Amino acid sequence: MTDDELQQRLQARDPAASLRPADPTWVARLLEDTMSADLDTHETRDSGTRNRSPLTWLVAAAAVLIAGIGVFGLLTNDPDSAPEPSAGDTPSVSTVPTVTELGAPAPSNAKCMVPNAQTLSQAQVAFSGTVQEVAADVVVLAPDRFYTGEPTDVVEVRSDPALLKALIGSVDFQVDQRYLVSANDGQVTVCGFSGVYSDDLAALYTAAFPG
Amino acid sequence: MPDDVSAAERRTRFEALAPELIEPLRRFLVRRTDPATADDVLADTLLVCWRRLDDVPVDAALPWAYGVARNCLANAQRGSRRQDRLAAKVATVDPPAVTVPGPDAGGGRHEERLEEALAQLTATEAELVRLWAWEQLTPAEIATVLGLTPNAVSIRLHRAREKLKELLRKDGRKDDGGSGHEESREGRAP
Repeated sequence: MTDDELQQRLQARDPAASLRPADPTWVARLLEDTMSADLDTHETRDSGTRNRSPLTWLVAAAAVLIAGIGVFGLLTNDPDSAPEPSAGDTPSVSTVPTVTELGAPAPSNAKCMVPNAQTLSQAQVAFSGTVQEVAADVVVLAPDRFYTGEPTDVVEVRSDPALLKALIGSVDFQVDQRYLVSANDGQVTVCGFSGVYSDDLAALYTAAFPG
Repeated sequence: MPDDVSAAERRTRFEALAPELIEPLRRFLVRRTDPATADDVLADTLLVCWRRLDDVPVDAALPWAYGVARNCLANAQRGSRRQDRLAAKVATVDPPAVTVPGPDAGGGRHEERLEEALAQLTATEAELVRLWAWEQLTPAEIATVLGLTPNAVSIRLHRAREKLKELLRKDGRKDDGGSGHEESREGRAP
């Protein structure tokens, strides 16, 4: 089976295939409710129509008009098939998540020192994050906190498979597990400086990077 | 927050953006939950878009909004109080017609197999496949939705598709009284 055949087969089961376009009045009301929500706090939609100023209603009328035009546009452009997400033809290069790339350290026979905050504080990158993927040549982590280093959306540890395998073995990277990871000169630290998230290790990271 | 002028600008921007998002977001949500939850989550999603209008990427607004919808849906599904309310609403207002497979155009058993195979993928694999097949996004766009790198998406999507094909093949053989021979398969997802 080709990818195209698989895609067609899946599309034949698209639960949204028979979904009719939303009622324009409903859409207009939805937009109006959304824009009347306070920008900083939550407002329930039940209480949203009270105490509304004349300006709001004016904007609502404009929203009805715009939504009407929008729905009209959708219907006239593409009456049969479901309209495709418009982003399909715009490349989204500028929104690619930022990435920190790290490498795996070369194997060494040197003895490990006991992990301590002073040594750890020399790391240029330190973060906690959850492993998204473990492949032969890359481990992908989604960081949730950077202790030091430029915060990015994603951290990738890339190396040739042999080195990475050794690293995965020593840090025990597994998908969906949370880790504390630090790196010196772009290489992930081992010897207990990087590892599965634990209160003890987190305390060490906090001590090494206060504030 | 901003003065009156920028508040008006903000409204103008949102009014230009939102109508383009609503239909794709409705379909996105109907594919993943019951209609009542879909409506609620659509409202939540638009609210986030409204509040975070400055963060909406100009050239990838829809994938970004899908990402927001995905999080809002996860939140909605976490809140059990809310789910109880929705369950009641679903029962009284509307049967979830569009999410239930209707009478088949293409042969029942064949398509049941597809659903079973999809159910055997991990949550992320299934979502990758859905975003590819139903929302028809590129790996870069899927990356925006899921907060992964395009590279990681390409790799994982490829594996997910192969796994799905393999599951369908295996199931097909089983149905045909096949030999039970199992090929070694590459790309088992992590």
